Amino acid sequence: MAQTPPATPETPPDEPRHVEAKALILLLVIGALITAFILYVMYARGVFEPTQRLVLVADDSEGVIPGMDLSFAGFPIGRVRQVELGQDAKVDIVVDIPKADAKWLRTTSVFTLERSIVGETRLKAFTGILTDPPLPDGAHRPVLRGDASAEIPRLLSTARTLLENLEEMTRADSHIGNSLANVEQLTHKLNGRYGVLGTALGGDEEARKFLQTLQRVDALLAKADQRVFGRHGVMDDTQASLGELNGLLKDARTTLQKVDGVLLEAQAVGANAKTATQDLGRLRGEVDASLRKVNRLVDEINRKWPFKHDTEIKLP
Amino acid sequence: MPLTSLVYVKPRHWGRLAARYAASWWHMLYLGAIALVMAMSPSTYHRANRLATARYIYASTWQVLPWFTLLTALLSLVIIRIVLVTAQSYGLSRYALEMVVRVLVLELLPLSAAMFAALRAGMAFDAAAMGLARSGVPAQAATEESLRRLRRDLVPQVAANAFSVLSLAMVSSVIVLVLAYLNVYGLSPWGLSDYTRTVGRVFDPTVTIGFVLKTVLFGLAVAVIPSAAILELLRHPRRLRSNVQPGALRLLFVLILIEAGSLGLKYI
Repeated sequence: MAQTPPATPETPPDEPRHVEAKALILLLVIGALITAFILYVMYARGVFEPTQRLVLVADDSEGVIPGMDLSFAGFPIGRVRQVELGQDAKVDIVVDIPKADAKWLRTTSVFTLERSIVGETRLKAFTGILTDPPLPDGAHRPVLRGDASAEIPRLLSTARTLLENLEEMTRADSHIGNSLANVEQLTHKLNGRYGVLGTALGGDEEARKFLQTLQRVDALLAKADQRVFGRHGVMDDTQASLGELNGLLKDARTTLQKVDGVLLEAQAVGANAKTATQDLGRLRGEVDASLRKVNRLVDEINRKWPFKHDTEIKLP
Repeated sequence: MPLTSLVYVKPRHWGRLAARYAASWWHMLYLGAIALVMAMSPSTYHRANRLATARYIYASTWQVLPWFTLLTALLSLVIIRIVLVTAQSYGLSRYALEMVVRVLVLELLPLSAAMFAALRAGMAFDAAAMGLARSGVPAQAATEESLRRLRRDLVPQVAANAFSVLSLAMVSSVIVLVLAYLNVYGLSPWGLSDYTRTVGRVFDPTVTIGFVLKTVLFGLAVAVIPSAAILELLRHPRRLRSNVQPGALRLLFVLILIEAGSLGLKYI
Protein backbone atom coordinates (compact mmCIF):
# COMPACT_ATOMS: atom_id res chain seq x y z
CA MET A 1 0.00 0.00 0.00
CA ALA A 2 1.35 3.43 -0.91
CA GLN A 3 2.15 5.60 2.01
CA THR A 4 0.07 8.75 2.32
CA PRO A 5 2.22 11.87 2.59
CA PRO A 6 1.87 13.75 5.85
CA ALA A 7 -0.63 16.61 5.82
CA THR A 8 0.90 20.09 5.97
CA PRO A 9 -0.84 23.50 6.30
CA GLU A 10 -0.14 24.14 2.56
CA THR A 11 -1.39 20.78 1.34
CA PRO A 12 -4.58 19.53 2.97
CA PRO A 13 -4.88 15.75 3.21
CA ASP A 14 -8.10 15.62 1.13
CA GLU A 15 -6.77 17.68 -1.74
CA PRO A 16 -7.72 16.24 -5.13
CA ARG A 17 -5.06 15.40 -7.62
CA HIS A 18 -3.73 17.79 -10.28
CA VAL A 19 -5.35 20.82 -8.78
CA GLU A 20 -2.96 23.20 -10.43
CA ALA A 21 -3.38 21.61 -13.83
CA LYS A 22 -7.15 21.71 -13.54
CA ALA A 23 -7.08 25.34 -12.46
CA LEU A 24 -4.80 26.16 -15.38
CA ILE A 25 -7.09 24.37 -17.82
CA LEU A 26 -10.03 26.26 -16.39
CA LEU A 27 -8.22 29.57 -16.70
CA LEU A 28 -7.26 28.85 -20.30
CA VAL A 29 -10.74 27.65 -21.28
CA ILE A 30 -12.49 30.59 -19.67
CA GLY A 31 -9.92 32.99 -21.12
CA ALA A 32 -10.44 31.51 -24.58
CA LEU A 33 -14.20 31.66 -24.10
CA ILE A 34 -14.10 35.31 -23.11
CA THR A 35 -11.80 36.14 -26.02
CA ALA A 36 -14.02 34.26 -28.45
CA PHE A 37 -17.10 35.98 -27.08
CA ILE A 38 -15.55 39.40 -27.41
CA LEU A 39 -14.42 38.60 -30.97
CA TYR A 40 -17.90 37.32 -31.80
CA VAL A 41 -19.50 40.48 -30.43
CA MET A 42 -17.04 42.59 -32.41
CA TYR A 43 -17.86 40.58 -35.53
CA ALA A 44 -21.57 40.97 -34.81
CA ARG A 45 -21.05 44.71 -34.45
CA GLY A 46 -19.43 44.72 -37.88
CA VAL A 47 -15.99 45.79 -36.65
CA PHE A 48 -14.16 43.60 -39.17
CA GLU A 49 -16.35 44.51 -42.11
CA PRO A 50 -15.41 47.31 -44.55
CA THR A 51 -18.20 49.84 -44.62
CA GLN A 52 -19.20 53.00 -46.38
CA ARG A 53 -20.95 55.92 -44.81
CA LEU A 54 -24.38 57.27 -45.64
CA VAL A 55 -25.81 60.38 -43.99
CA LEU A 56 -29.58 60.57 -43.83
CA VAL A 57 -30.94 64.04 -43.16
CA ALA A 58 -34.18 64.23 -41.19
CA ASP A 59 -36.22 66.90 -39.43
CA ASP A 60 -36.74 64.93 -36.25
CA SER A 61 -34.58 62.26 -34.64
CA GLU A 62 -37.27 60.89 -32.37
CA GLY A 63 -37.03 57.11 -32.16
CA VAL A 64 -33.68 56.94 -33.94
CA ILE A 65 -30.99 55.36 -31.79
CA PRO A 66 -27.44 54.29 -32.57
CA GLY A 67 -27.37 50.60 -33.39
CA MET A 68 -30.73 50.43 -35.13
CA ASP A 69 -30.91 48.81 -38.54
CA LEU A 70 -31.45 50.23 -41.98
CA SER A 71 -33.44 47.61 -43.84
CA PHE A 72 -33.92 46.95 -47.52
CA ALA A 73 -36.72 44.59 -48.54
CA GLY A 74 -36.88 43.38 -44.95
CA PHE A 75 -33.16 42.60 -44.73
CA PRO A 76 -30.92 44.73 -42.54
CA ILE A 77 -28.20 46.22 -44.73
CA GLY A 78 -26.86 48.94 -42.48
CA ARG A 79 -26.58 50.14 -38.93
CA VAL A 80 -26.98 53.60 -37.46
CA ARG A 81 -23.68 54.65 -35.97
CA GLN A 82 -24.36 58.17 -34.87
CA VAL A 83 -27.19 60.68 -34.63
CA GLU A 84 -26.18 64.31 -34.49
CA LEU A 85 -27.68 67.76 -34.96
CA GLY A 86 -26.19 69.47 -38.00
CA GLN A 87 -25.36 73.16 -38.50
CA ASP A 88 -28.57 73.67 -40.48
CA ALA A 89 -30.71 72.45 -37.53
CA LYS A 90 -31.36 69.20 -39.37
CA VAL A 91 -30.69 65.79 -37.87
CA ASP A 92 -27.83 63.87 -39.47
CA ILE A 93 -28.25 60.13 -39.09
CA VAL A 94 -24.91 58.52 -39.90
CA VAL A 95 -25.40 54.97 -41.19
CA ASP A 96 -22.66 52.41 -41.80
CA ILE A 97 -23.38 50.27 -44.86
CA PRO A 98 -21.23 47.18 -45.37
CA LYS A 99 -19.56 47.27 -48.77
CA ALA A 100 -21.13 43.93 -49.61
CA ASP A 101 -24.63 45.33 -49.11
CA ALA A 102 -23.99 48.77 -50.63
CA LYS A 103 -24.93 47.43 -54.07
CA TRP A 104 -28.59 47.62 -53.15
CA LEU A 105 -28.42 51.37 -52.71
CA ARG A 106 -28.42 53.53 -55.83
CA THR A 107 -28.43 57.24 -56.43
CA THR A 108 -32.19 57.12 -56.93
CA SER A 109 -32.89 55.18 -53.72
CA VAL A 110 -35.49 56.58 -51.35
CA PHE A 111 -35.13 56.40 -47.56
CA THR A 112 -38.00 56.46 -45.08
CA LEU A 113 -38.25 56.68 -41.33
CA GLU A 114 -41.40 54.95 -40.11
CA ARG A 115 -42.58 55.34 -36.57
CA SER A 116 -45.33 52.94 -35.63
CA ILE A 117 -47.60 53.14 -32.61
CA VAL A 118 -46.32 49.84 -31.21
CA GLY A 119 -42.73 48.78 -31.72
CA GLU A 120 -39.57 50.48 -32.72
CA THR A 121 -38.92 53.14 -35.34
CA ARG A 122 -37.75 51.67 -38.63
CA LEU A 123 -35.38 53.02 -41.23
CA LYS A 124 -36.08 51.63 -44.69
CA ALA A 125 -34.48 51.98 -48.09
CA PHE A 126 -36.26 51.54 -51.39
CA THR A 127 -34.51 51.18 -54.75
CA GLY A 128 -36.65 51.22 -57.84
CA ILE A 129 -34.01 51.02 -60.57
CA LEU A 130 -31.09 48.76 -59.74
CA THR A 131 -29.25 49.77 -62.89
CA ASP A 132 -28.73 53.34 -61.70
CA PRO A 133 -25.25 54.41 -60.55
CA PRO A 134 -24.36 53.12 -57.05
CA LEU A 135 -24.62 55.42 -54.04
CA PRO A 136 -21.26 57.08 -53.39
CA ASP A 137 -19.48 56.90 -50.05
CA GLY A 138 -20.47 59.69 -47.66
CA ALA A 139 -23.62 60.58 -49.59
CA HIS A 140 -26.23 62.83 -47.98
CA ARG A 141 -29.82 61.85 -48.61
CA PRO A 142 -33.09 63.21 -47.22
CA VAL A 143 -35.23 60.79 -45.29
CA LEU A 144 -39.00 60.81 -45.55
CA ARG A 145 -41.01 60.43 -42.36
CA GLY A 146 -43.98 58.10 -42.12
CA ASP A 147 -45.38 58.81 -38.73
CA ALA A 148 -48.36 56.70 -37.68
CA SER A 149 -48.87 58.50 -34.39
CA ALA A 150 -48.89 61.89 -36.08
CA GLU A 151 -51.95 60.73 -37.97
CA ILE A 152 -53.89 60.03 -34.77
CA PRO A 153 -55.22 63.58 -34.12
CA ARG A 154 -56.39 63.92 -37.71
CA LEU A 155 -57.86 60.43 -37.54
CA LEU A 156 -59.68 61.28 -34.33
CA SER A 157 -61.02 64.51 -35.81
CA THR A 158 -62.25 62.69 -38.89
CA ALA A 159 -63.73 59.92 -36.79
CA ARG A 160 -65.55 62.47 -34.63
CA THR A 161 -67.02 64.20 -37.67
CA LEU A 162 -68.00 60.83 -39.05
CA LEU A 163 -69.69 59.85 -35.83
CA GLU A 164 -71.54 63.17 -35.67
CA ASN A 165 -72.76 62.68 -39.22
CA LEU A 166 -73.77 59.14 -38.37
CA GLU A 167 -75.63 60.32 -35.32
CA GLU A 168 -77.39 62.98 -37.36
CA MET A 169 -78.26 60.43 -39.98
CA THR A 170 -79.70 57.97 -37.51
CA ARG A 171 -81.86 60.53 -35.68
CA ALA A 172 -85.67 59.96 -35.85
CA ASP A 173 -86.31 63.20 -37.74
CA SER A 174 -83.26 62.98 -39.94
CA HIS A 175 -83.40 63.16 -43.71
CA ILE A 176 -82.48 59.52 -43.96
CA GLY A 177 -85.25 58.62 -41.52
CA ASN A 178 -87.75 60.60 -43.56
CA SER A 179 -86.46 59.05 -46.75
CA LEU A 180 -86.78 55.61 -45.28
CA ALA A 181 -90.34 56.41 -44.18
CA ASN A 182 -91.10 57.56 -47.69
CA VAL A 183 -89.52 54.42 -49.06
CA GLU A 184 -91.67 52.39 -46.73
CA GLN A 185 -94.76 54.28 -47.86
CA LEU A 186 -93.71 53.78 -51.44
CA THR A 187 -93.22 50.05 -51.02
CA HIS A 188 -96.59 49.90 -49.33
CA LYS A 189 -98.11 51.60 -52.35
CA LEU A 190 -96.21 49.35 -54.68
CA ASN A 191 -97.69 46.38 -52.93
CA GLY A 192 -101.22 47.94 -53.32
CA ARG A 193 -103.91 47.20 -55.96
CA TYR A 194 -102.58 49.42 -58.75
CA GLY A 195 -98.84 48.96 -57.75
CA VAL A 196 -96.31 51.00 -59.70
CA LEU A 197 -99.05 52.59 -61.86
CA GLY A 198 -100.91 54.01 -58.89
CA THR A 199 -97.62 55.25 -57.40
CA ALA A 200 -96.53 56.84 -60.65
CA LEU A 201 -99.87 58.54 -61.33
CA GLY A 202 -100.36 59.71 -57.78
CA GLY A 203 -103.38 57.68 -56.69
CA ASP A 204 -105.68 54.72 -57.33
CA GLU A 205 -108.40 56.87 -58.93
CA GLU A 206 -106.01 58.22 -61.56
CA ALA A 207 -104.70 54.72 -62.15
CA ARG A 208 -108.25 53.46 -62.67
CA LYS A 209 -108.95 56.27 -65.15
CA PHE A 210 -105.71 55.53 -66.94
CA LEU A 211 -106.67 51.88 -67.18
CA GLN A 212 -110.10 52.81 -68.56
CA THR A 213 -108.43 55.03 -71.12
CA LEU A 214 -106.16 52.21 -72.04
CA GLN A 215 -109.13 49.91 -72.49
CA ARG A 216 -110.78 52.45 -74.75
CA VAL A 217 -107.64 52.84 -76.77
CA ASP A 218 -107.52 49.10 -77.01
CA ALA A 219 -111.11 48.93 -78.31
CA LEU A 220 -110.34 51.75 -80.73
CA LEU A 221 -107.36 49.93 -82.01
CA ALA A 222 -109.45 46.79 -82.49
CA LYS A 223 -111.96 48.73 -84.53
CA ALA A 224 -109.26 50.41 -86.55
CA ASP A 225 -107.75 47.07 -87.22
CA GLN A 226 -111.08 45.80 -88.42
CA ARG A 227 -111.51 48.82 -90.73
CA VAL A 228 -108.04 48.87 -92.06
CA PHE A 229 -106.96 45.31 -92.19
CA GLY A 230 -110.29 43.50 -92.03
CA ARG A 231 -112.43 42.13 -94.88
CA HIS A 232 -113.31 44.93 -97.36
CA GLY A 233 -111.11 47.18 -95.30
CA VAL A 234 -108.95 50.07 -96.44
CA MET A 235 -106.08 47.80 -97.10
CA ASP A 236 -108.13 45.60 -99.46
CA ASP A 237 -109.24 48.65 -101.47
CA THR A 238 -105.76 49.96 -101.56
CA GLN A 239 -104.50 46.63 -102.78
CA ALA A 240 -107.15 46.57 -105.59
CA SER A 241 -106.25 50.14 -106.52
CA LEU A 242 -102.65 49.16 -106.69
CA GLY A 243 -103.59 46.33 -109.06
CA GLU A 244 -105.43 48.75 -111.30
CA LEU A 245 -102.59 51.17 -111.21
CA ASN A 246 -100.32 48.37 -112.22
CA GLY A 247 -102.55 47.66 -115.26
CA LEU A 248 -102.59 51.36 -116.15
CA LEU A 249 -98.88 51.46 -116.00
CA LYS A 250 -98.67 48.47 -118.35
CA ASP A 251 -100.98 50.22 -120.84
CA ALA A 252 -98.94 53.37 -120.57
CA ARG A 253 -95.81 51.38 -121.29
CA THR A 254 -97.42 49.81 -124.39
CA THR A 255 -98.56 53.24 -125.60
CA LEU A 256 -95.14 54.63 -125.13
CA GLN A 257 -93.69 51.75 -127.14
CA LYS A 258 -96.10 52.62 -129.94
CA VAL A 259 -95.15 56.28 -129.75
CA ASP A 260 -91.59 55.12 -129.98
CA GLY A 261 -92.39 53.26 -133.22
CA VAL A 262 -94.17 56.33 -134.64
CA LEU A 263 -91.21 58.43 -133.88
CA LEU A 264 -88.98 55.93 -135.65
CA GLU A 265 -91.18 56.14 -138.70
CA ALA A 266 -91.20 59.94 -138.52
CA GLN A 267 -87.45 59.78 -138.42
CA ALA A 268 -87.46 57.63 -141.57
CA VAL A 269 -89.86 60.13 -143.25
CA GLY A 270 -87.53 62.91 -142.39
CA ALA A 271 -84.62 61.00 -143.93
CA ASN A 272 -86.65 60.46 -147.12
CA ALA A 273 -87.59 64.16 -147.23
CA LYS A 274 -83.94 65.03 -146.99
CA THR A 275 -83.12 62.74 -149.91
CA ALA A 276 -86.04 64.21 -151.93
CA THR A 277 -84.76 67.66 -151.25
CA GLN A 278 -81.36 66.73 -152.63
CA ASP A 279 -83.01 65.28 -155.77
CA LEU A 280 -85.07 68.48 -156.10
CA GLY A 281 -81.91 70.55 -156.26
CA ARG A 282 -80.50 68.44 -159.00
CA LEU A 283 -83.86 68.66 -160.80
CA ARG A 284 -83.84 72.43 -160.48
CA GLY A 285 -80.36 72.50 -161.98
CA GLU A 286 -81.56 70.44 -164.87
CA VAL A 287 -84.66 72.65 -165.22
CA ASP A 288 -82.44 75.72 -165.17
CA ALA A 289 -80.25 74.23 -167.89
CA SER A 290 -83.30 73.31 -169.95
CA LEU A 291 -84.70 76.85 -169.54
CA ARG A 292 -81.40 78.38 -170.57
CA LYS A 293 -81.43 76.18 -173.67
CA VAL A 294 -85.02 77.24 -174.45
CA ASN A 295 -84.07 80.85 -173.94
CA ARG A 296 -81.20 80.52 -176.32
CA LEU A 297 -83.44 78.79 -178.73
CA VAL A 298 -85.98 81.62 -178.59
CA ASP A 299 -83.27 84.16 -179.11
CA GLU A 300 -82.06 82.22 -182.09
CA ILE A 301 -85.56 82.10 -183.52
CA ASN A 302 -86.05 85.79 -182.95
CA ARG A 303 -82.95 86.57 -184.83
CA LYS A 304 -83.80 84.39 -187.67
CA TRP A 305 -87.46 85.24 -187.59
CA PRO A 306 -88.76 88.09 -190.15
CA PHE A 307 -90.71 89.78 -187.53
CA LYS A 308 -87.58 90.88 -186.22
CA HIS A 309 -87.73 94.42 -184.78
CA ASP A 310 -84.95 96.65 -184.05
CA THR A 311 -84.07 96.58 -180.49
CA GLU A 312 -81.55 99.41 -180.68
CA ILE A 313 -82.37 102.35 -178.48
CA LYS A 314 -81.69 105.80 -179.99
CA LEU A 315 -80.94 108.62 -177.85
CA PRO A 316 -82.24 112.14 -178.70
CA MET B 1 -25.54 45.26 13.83
CA PRO B 2 -28.56 45.55 11.58
CA LEU B 3 -29.91 49.01 10.86
CA THR B 4 -33.27 48.14 12.43
CA SER B 5 -31.59 47.70 15.81
CA LEU B 6 -30.86 51.44 15.84
CA VAL B 7 -34.33 52.06 17.25
CA TYR B 8 -33.34 50.14 20.37
CA VAL B 9 -30.20 52.24 20.87
CA LYS B 10 -30.25 55.41 22.87
CA PRO B 11 -29.92 58.56 20.75
CA ARG B 12 -26.66 59.56 22.43
CA HIS B 13 -25.08 56.36 21.13
CA TRP B 14 -26.19 56.92 17.54
CA GLY B 15 -23.06 58.86 16.70
CA ARG B 16 -20.85 56.08 18.00
CA LEU B 17 -22.79 53.52 16.02
CA ALA B 18 -22.60 55.58 12.84
CA ALA B 19 -18.86 55.93 13.29
CA ARG B 20 -18.55 52.20 13.80
CA TYR B 21 -20.53 51.56 10.58
CA ALA B 22 -18.42 54.02 8.67
CA ALA B 23 -15.25 52.41 10.01
CA SER B 24 -16.55 48.98 9.09
CA TRP B 25 -17.31 50.07 5.51
CA TRP B 26 -13.97 51.81 5.29
CA HIS B 27 -12.22 48.68 6.53
CA MET B 28 -14.01 46.68 3.87
CA LEU B 29 -13.07 49.09 1.10
CA TYR B 30 -9.51 49.24 2.36
CA LEU B 31 -9.22 45.50 2.44
CA GLY B 32 -10.72 45.25 -1.02
CA ALA B 33 -8.22 47.78 -2.36
CA ILE B 34 -5.29 45.93 -0.74
CA ALA B 35 -6.53 42.61 -2.08
CA LEU B 36 -6.98 44.06 -5.56
CA VAL B 37 -3.51 45.58 -5.61
CA MET B 38 -1.97 42.37 -4.33
CA ALA B 39 -3.96 40.30 -6.81
CA MET B 40 -2.75 42.52 -9.65
CA SER B 41 0.93 42.40 -8.67
CA PRO B 42 2.86 39.43 -10.13
CA SER B 43 5.06 39.10 -7.03
CA THR B 44 2.06 37.82 -5.06
CA TYR B 45 1.94 34.64 -7.10
CA HIS B 46 4.85 32.73 -5.70
CA ARG B 47 4.73 29.00 -5.47
CA ALA B 48 2.61 28.74 -2.32
CA ASN B 49 0.15 31.40 -3.44
CA ARG B 50 -0.18 29.87 -6.88
CA LEU B 51 -0.99 26.57 -5.27
CA ALA B 52 -3.48 28.20 -2.91
CA THR B 53 -5.09 30.11 -5.81
CA ALA B 54 -5.34 26.92 -7.84
CA ARG B 55 -6.92 25.17 -4.89
CA TYR B 56 -9.51 27.93 -4.46
CA ILE B 57 -10.23 28.06 -8.16
CA TYR B 58 -10.73 24.33 -8.13
CA ALA B 59 -13.10 24.55 -5.18
CA SER B 60 -15.07 27.61 -6.27
CA THR B 61 -15.24 27.00 -10.01
CA TRP B 62 -14.24 23.54 -11.14
CA GLN B 63 -16.46 21.73 -8.68
CA VAL B 64 -19.56 23.85 -9.22
CA LEU B 65 -19.35 24.81 -12.89
CA PRO B 66 -21.09 21.72 -14.37
CA TRP B 67 -23.95 21.78 -11.88
CA PHE B 68 -24.42 25.50 -12.05
CA THR B 69 -24.36 25.42 -15.85
CA LEU B 70 -26.88 22.59 -15.96
CA LEU B 71 -29.18 24.32 -13.51
CA THR B 72 -29.06 27.69 -15.27
CA ALA B 73 -29.52 25.98 -18.64
CA LEU B 74 -32.70 24.29 -17.43
CA LEU B 75 -34.09 27.44 -15.85
CA SER B 76 -33.10 29.53 -18.85
CA LEU B 77 -34.75 27.04 -21.18
CA VAL B 78 -38.01 27.47 -19.30
CA ILE B 79 -37.71 31.25 -19.38
CA ILE B 80 -36.78 31.26 -23.08
CA ARG B 81 -39.82 29.12 -23.92
CA ILE B 82 -42.12 31.35 -21.89
CA VAL B 83 -40.79 34.52 -23.53
CA LEU B 84 -40.92 33.03 -27.02
CA VAL B 85 -44.43 31.65 -26.71
CA THR B 86 -45.75 34.85 -25.15
CA ALA B 87 -44.07 37.01 -27.78
CA GLN B 88 -45.42 34.83 -30.58
CA SER B 89 -48.94 34.99 -29.21
CA TYR B 90 -48.75 38.78 -29.30
CA GLY B 91 -47.09 38.82 -32.73
CA LEU B 92 -43.87 40.25 -31.33
CA SER B 93 -41.58 37.31 -31.99
CA ARG B 94 -38.94 39.55 -33.62
CA TYR B 95 -38.35 41.13 -30.21
CA ALA B 96 -38.26 37.85 -28.28
CA LEU B 97 -34.64 37.01 -29.01
CA GLU B 98 -33.44 40.45 -28.05
CA MET B 99 -35.45 40.30 -24.85
CA VAL B 100 -34.05 36.87 -23.97
CA VAL B 101 -30.49 38.08 -24.49
CA ARG B 102 -31.04 41.27 -22.55
CA VAL B 103 -32.84 39.71 -19.61
CA LEU B 104 -30.96 36.47 -19.23
CA VAL B 105 -27.45 37.08 -20.44
CA LEU B 106 -27.05 40.66 -19.34
CA GLU B 107 -28.96 40.67 -16.07
CA LEU B 108 -30.06 37.39 -14.53
CA LEU B 109 -27.09 35.14 -15.18
CA PRO B 110 -24.36 37.41 -13.75
CA LEU B 111 -26.52 38.02 -10.70
CA SER B 112 -27.18 34.29 -10.25
CA ALA B 113 -23.50 33.53 -10.67
CA ALA B 114 -22.63 36.14 -8.05
CA MET B 115 -25.21 34.79 -5.61
CA PHE B 116 -24.03 31.25 -6.15
CA ALA B 117 -20.39 32.13 -5.67
CA ALA B 118 -21.26 34.21 -2.61
CA LEU B 119 -23.09 31.30 -1.01
CA ARG B 120 -20.23 29.01 -1.76
CA ALA B 121 -17.59 31.45 -0.43
CA GLY B 122 -19.67 32.29 2.61
CA MET B 123 -20.09 28.65 3.51
CA ALA B 124 -16.38 28.00 3.15
CA PHE B 125 -15.58 30.94 5.38
CA ASP B 126 -18.25 29.96 7.83
CA ALA B 127 -16.75 26.56 8.37
CA ALA B 128 -13.23 27.93 8.73
CA ALA B 129 -13.66 31.10 10.71
CA MET B 130 -16.86 31.03 12.67
CA GLY B 131 -15.53 28.51 15.10
CA LEU B 132 -12.42 30.60 15.56
CA ALA B 133 -14.50 33.68 16.31
CA ARG B 134 -16.80 31.89 18.67
CA SER B 135 -13.95 30.34 20.60
CA GLY B 136 -12.94 33.78 21.91
CA VAL B 137 -9.38 34.09 20.66
CA PRO B 138 -7.45 36.92 22.36
CA ALA B 139 -7.22 40.20 20.46
CA GLN B 140 -3.51 39.97 19.77
CA ALA B 141 -3.83 36.44 18.52
CA ALA B 142 -6.84 37.48 16.40
CA THR B 143 -4.83 40.25 14.77
CA GLU B 144 -1.99 37.86 14.02
CA GLU B 145 -4.46 35.31 12.70
CA SER B 146 -6.10 37.94 10.47
CA LEU B 147 -2.74 39.06 9.13
CA ARG B 148 -1.74 35.48 8.46
CA ARG B 149 -5.06 34.84 6.74
CA LEU B 150 -4.67 38.06 4.78
CA ARG B 151 -1.27 37.07 3.61
CA ARG B 152 -1.99 33.46 2.89
CA ASP B 153 -5.62 33.11 1.92
CA LEU B 154 -7.26 36.40 1.16
CA VAL B 155 -5.65 37.24 -2.17
CA PRO B 156 -6.01 33.75 -3.64
CA GLN B 157 -9.54 33.63 -2.37
CA VAL B 158 -10.46 37.02 -3.79
CA ALA B 159 -8.93 36.12 -7.14
CA ALA B 160 -10.62 32.71 -7.13
CA ASN B 161 -14.02 34.10 -6.22
CA ALA B 162 -13.84 36.85 -8.80
CA PHE B 163 -12.77 34.29 -11.36
CA SER B 164 -15.56 32.00 -10.24
CA VAL B 165 -18.24 34.66 -10.80
CA LEU B 166 -16.74 35.52 -14.18
CA SER B 167 -16.54 31.86 -15.24
CA LEU B 168 -19.99 30.91 -14.11
CA ALA B 169 -21.54 33.97 -15.74
CA MET B 170 -19.57 33.53 -18.95
CA VAL B 171 -20.16 29.81 -19.45
CA SER B 172 -23.83 30.00 -18.61
CA SER B 173 -24.23 33.05 -20.88
CA VAL B 174 -22.70 31.21 -23.82
CA ILE B 175 -24.89 28.16 -23.13
CA VAL B 176 -27.98 30.36 -22.95
CA LEU B 177 -27.06 32.12 -26.20
CA VAL B 178 -26.86 28.73 -27.90
CA LEU B 179 -30.13 27.61 -26.33
CA ALA B 180 -31.85 30.80 -27.43
CA TYR B 181 -30.67 30.26 -31.01
CA LEU B 182 -31.85 26.65 -31.01
CA ASN B 183 -35.22 27.65 -29.61
CA VAL B 184 -35.81 30.40 -32.12
CA TYR B 185 -34.30 28.94 -35.29
CA GLY B 186 -33.99 25.23 -34.52
CA LEU B 187 -31.02 23.33 -35.92
CA SER B 188 -31.02 25.33 -39.15
CA PRO B 189 -27.84 27.34 -39.74
CA TRP B 190 -29.68 29.94 -41.83
CA GLY B 191 -30.69 32.04 -38.86
CA LEU B 192 -27.09 32.64 -37.86
CA SER B 193 -26.64 35.96 -39.60
CA ASP B 194 -29.90 37.34 -38.25
CA TYR B 195 -29.02 36.06 -34.80
CA THR B 196 -25.54 37.54 -34.98
CA ARG B 197 -27.02 40.86 -35.98
CA THR B 198 -29.40 40.79 -33.02
CA VAL B 199 -26.57 39.94 -30.62
CA GLY B 200 -24.53 42.72 -32.14
CA ARG B 201 -27.39 45.14 -31.66
CA VAL B 202 -27.74 44.19 -28.00
CA PHE B 203 -24.04 44.24 -27.19
CA ASP B 204 -23.22 47.78 -28.14
CA PRO B 205 -19.99 49.15 -26.61
CA THR B 206 -21.73 50.69 -23.58
CA VAL B 207 -23.64 47.53 -22.75
CA THR B 208 -20.58 45.32 -23.25
CA ILE B 209 -18.40 47.44 -21.02
CA GLY B 210 -21.19 47.60 -18.45
CA PHE B 211 -21.60 43.83 -18.59
CA VAL B 212 -17.91 43.16 -18.06
CA LEU B 213 -17.64 45.82 -15.36
CA LYS B 214 -20.67 44.52 -13.54
CA THR B 215 -19.41 40.96 -13.59
CA VAL B 216 -16.01 42.05 -12.29
CA LEU B 217 -17.63 44.14 -9.54
CA PHE B 218 -19.83 41.20 -8.59
CA GLY B 219 -16.75 39.04 -8.35
CA LEU B 220 -14.95 41.57 -6.19
CA ALA B 221 -17.95 42.05 -3.92
CA VAL B 222 -18.39 38.32 -3.48
CA ALA B 223 -14.70 37.94 -2.79
CA VAL B 224 -14.11 40.87 -0.49
CA ILE B 225 -17.23 41.46 1.59
CA PRO B 226 -17.49 38.08 3.39
CA SER B 227 -13.73 38.05 3.97
CA ALA B 228 -13.79 41.57 5.38
CA ALA B 229 -16.73 40.67 7.61
CA ILE B 230 -14.97 37.59 8.95
CA LEU B 231 -11.75 39.47 9.57
CA GLU B 232 -13.62 42.26 11.33
CA LEU B 233 -15.31 39.63 13.48
CA LEU B 234 -11.94 38.16 14.35
CA ARG B 235 -10.81 41.58 15.55
CA HIS B 236 -14.04 42.27 17.44
CA PRO B 237 -15.51 38.92 18.57
CA ARG B 238 -18.09 40.67 20.75
CA ARG B 239 -19.91 42.03 17.69
CA LEU B 240 -21.07 38.52 16.83
CA ARG B 241 -24.68 38.76 17.93
CA SER B 242 -26.53 36.39 15.63
CA ASN B 243 -26.06 33.22 13.70
CA VAL B 244 -26.44 35.03 10.38
CA GLN B 245 -23.42 34.59 8.18
CA PRO B 246 -21.17 37.64 8.67
CA GLY B 247 -21.38 40.13 5.79
CA ALA B 248 -24.30 38.36 4.09
CA LEU B 249 -26.65 41.31 4.34
CA ARG B 250 -23.97 43.73 3.30
CA LEU B 251 -23.07 41.54 0.35
CA LEU B 252 -26.71 41.34 -0.71
CA PHE B 253 -27.02 45.10 -0.37
CA VAL B 254 -23.91 45.70 -2.47
CA LEU B 255 -24.99 43.21 -5.14
CA ILE B 256 -28.36 44.89 -5.44
CA LEU B 257 -26.66 48.27 -5.53
CA ILE B 258 -24.37 47.19 -8.37
CA GLU B 259 -27.27 45.69 -10.31
CA ALA B 260 -29.43 48.77 -9.78
CA GLY B 261 -26.56 51.03 -10.79
CA SER B 262 -25.96 48.96 -13.91
CA LEU B 263 -29.64 49.03 -14.86
CA GLY B 264 -29.82 52.72 -14.17
CA LEU B 265 -26.82 53.50 -16.35
CA LYS B 266 -28.06 51.32 -19.18
CA TYR B 267 -31.74 52.14 -19.35
CA ILE B 268 -32.24 55.54 -17.72
